[in-house]
Amino acid sequence: MAEACQIIRKQDLPPPGGYKPIPFKRIPAKSYFSGYAIFAGYIGITAGAMYLYHLNYKQIKKNEIEMRSAKMAIYPMLLAERDREYLKQLRRNRDAEAELMRDVPGWEVGTYYGERVYKRLPPDALVEPIFHEYYAHSDPHEWYKRAYIKLRS
Amino acid sequence: MVLTADVHLPEESELTVPEVNLSGATLIASSFHLGKYCEQANNEFMLCRIEEDDPRKCIKEGKVVTACTMEFFRKVKKACLSEFNQYANCIDKSSGDFSLNFCRNTQGVFDKCMLDNLNLERPPFGYFTEARVHDTKRPKPRPEPKEVYPDSTPALPESADKKPARFGSRFYWMTE
Repeated sequence: MAEACQIIRKQDLPPPGGYKPIPFKRIPAKSYFSGYAIFAGYIGITAGAMYLYHLNYKQIKKNEIEMRSAKMAIYPMLLAERDREYLKQLRRNRDAEAELMRDVPGWEVGTYYGERVYKRLPPDALVEPIFHEYYAHSDPHEWYKRAYIKLRS
Repeated sequence: MVLTADVHLPEESELTVPEVNLSGATLIASSFHLGKYCEQANNEFMLCRIEEDDPRKCIKEGKVVTACTMEFFRKVKKACLSEFNQYANCIDKSSGDFSLNFCRNTQGVFDKCMLDNLNLERPPFGYFTEARVHDTKRPKPRPEPKEVYPDSTPALPESADKKPARFGSRFYWMTE
């Protein structure tokens, strides 16, 4: 058995002439800028960008002011139109409530069997109804459409 | 609802006037000249609306505003229709929020037409955002009078003897 396994053994030795020297010396990456130059560049670029930002900011603010001015100019007309339509709708709502509760004995419009909601206000005071009351007699689909806008604005 | 039969609401016929049936782009395009043309009516209405805080009390002023706006648009239609349409079309289609800054060329044409034909100059930048003083003949609404309660506890007379507190101040670390 010992004769069958005989192979030529060769001792692991250095290559002829010895090993190459180990490159332990640090090779730093090539530096294009010094530290001070990087700081200066950072500050310079930031300052330039801030200047451009400032120009853009001024322009945007100017446009916003112009748009606000335009909207404020047409606001009285829109508000006048809205007020008229709102008062019409309030009257329609009150009439609808009177019609709906016609057969209920003792029911007075705008009150709970004669008990007012706001007792200390003068009787002629206009209290703007809340959203759900305002849409109480309308189609639920209309309510939903308005609520969708209202909740997102 | 909170509206009782005692609350006076105007009749529908009192509130029905010809309304300005125009699109948002048209209104924004005409806004500066419109605001200048109807400045008196607008200021009167807005002052009333803010002071009274009640839409019922400013219906008359609101009708004046709408009538003035209608008159303005009739004049524009007669004098500068094509220039105005061009400008409004530009406002409508150049941006999603009717920005004015993309339509300076058409605006210049429209402004020139308005100045030549209606003698109406475009107000300076931000004119309608400035605070303004408006002189009106409408009397100022009285402030709400202070409530007087007949059964309230009477105050001490001026000559009452005011002795120092028996156990010192409640905030002795702050006041003493």
